Amino acid sequence: MSENLEKYTNAFCQAFDIDADTAKGLKFQAIDAWDSVGHMGLVAQIEEAFDIMLEPDDIVDLNSYEKGKEILAKYNVEFA
Amino acid sequence: MLEGKNVLITGTNRGIGQAILKECAANGASVWAHARKETPEFVSLLNEVSEQYPAEIRPVYFDMTDKDAMKKAVMEIRSSKLPVDALINNAGMMHNASFQMSSEKALRDVFEVNFFATFLLTQYIANLMVRQKHGSIVTVSSMGALDGNPGKAVYGASKAALVTMSRVIANELGTQGVRSNCIAPGVIETDILQTMPESELLKAKELTPMKRTGLPDEVASVAVFLASDKSSFINGQVIRVDGGL
Repeated sequence: MSENLEKYTNAFCQAFDIDADTAKGLKFQAIDAWDSVGHMGLVAQIEEAFDIMLEPDDIVDLNSYEKGKEILAKYNVEFA
Repeated sequence: MLEGKNVLITGTNRGIGQAILKECAANGASVWAHARKETPEFVSLLNEVSEQYPAEIRPVYFDMTDKDAMKKAVMEIRSSKLPVDALINNAGMMHNASFQMSSEKALRDVFEVNFFATFLLTQYIANLMVRQKHGSIVTVSSMGALDGNPGKAVYGASKAALVTMSRVIANELGTQGVRSNCIAPGVIETDILQTMPESELLKAKELTPMKRTGLPDEVASVAVFLASDKSSFINGQVIRVDGGL
């Protein structure tokens, strides 16, 4: 796993108190912890992990683990 | 009232914003003082406030309609690792025209500054407040938002939109320690008053039970109160500062 992917996955684990396997493939509201309040906790974890500030539209669009990776590409975060 | 607090205030170069800056500093707050750009007058103002009060005054420059500049400024504030204890949304632009004489361009320009830019900045700062689990958002609206005053179709609508924004924040973020309130100033003695038709000004004074216009300081003191913990159970309100108009 790349360093960025590990940091990204860890953001989900920290925000929702879940393991890495659960994080991968996760979607918004698929678990109780990922509600609108938990969403902002996830945003905080991601922003701190990569020292970025997500645009409000990207915060809205961040509706799955996979979508988040697409969004982070705009912030020059690569997962290769 | 604000000892140890860090407050971000927009539009502090003149009028009500300048009064809020001084009142916050006088009450012990450290202030991020926003202005559109650095000018000798603004630098002089900040030096004057810094010399008069022990609080730290940090200038923040960006055009409210420049999203990139705004984001950069917020990132710098976040990088400081200081909590943003209060955000006072004051920056705005006045517009006077009757409903039927209000152009689409004016509508878009006024909403761009008064509502869209303020909304975006508030989103950014509210995210920080949620993380720190506390914060007070104070938004300067207007009696024009509430009363439908003639000549205020565009301006009043933009300020009414802010009232709705503020109330939604109050409802959504209250459980996360973030309060949100509005101030609705009446006719206040600022530069903006120069744009008000004389007849309208005289009528406003006559209608006001106190028979006078308000002072920027009289708005600023309410802003400081709402920003402070003294108003810890006040949330989702619009407080008129209009002499009873």
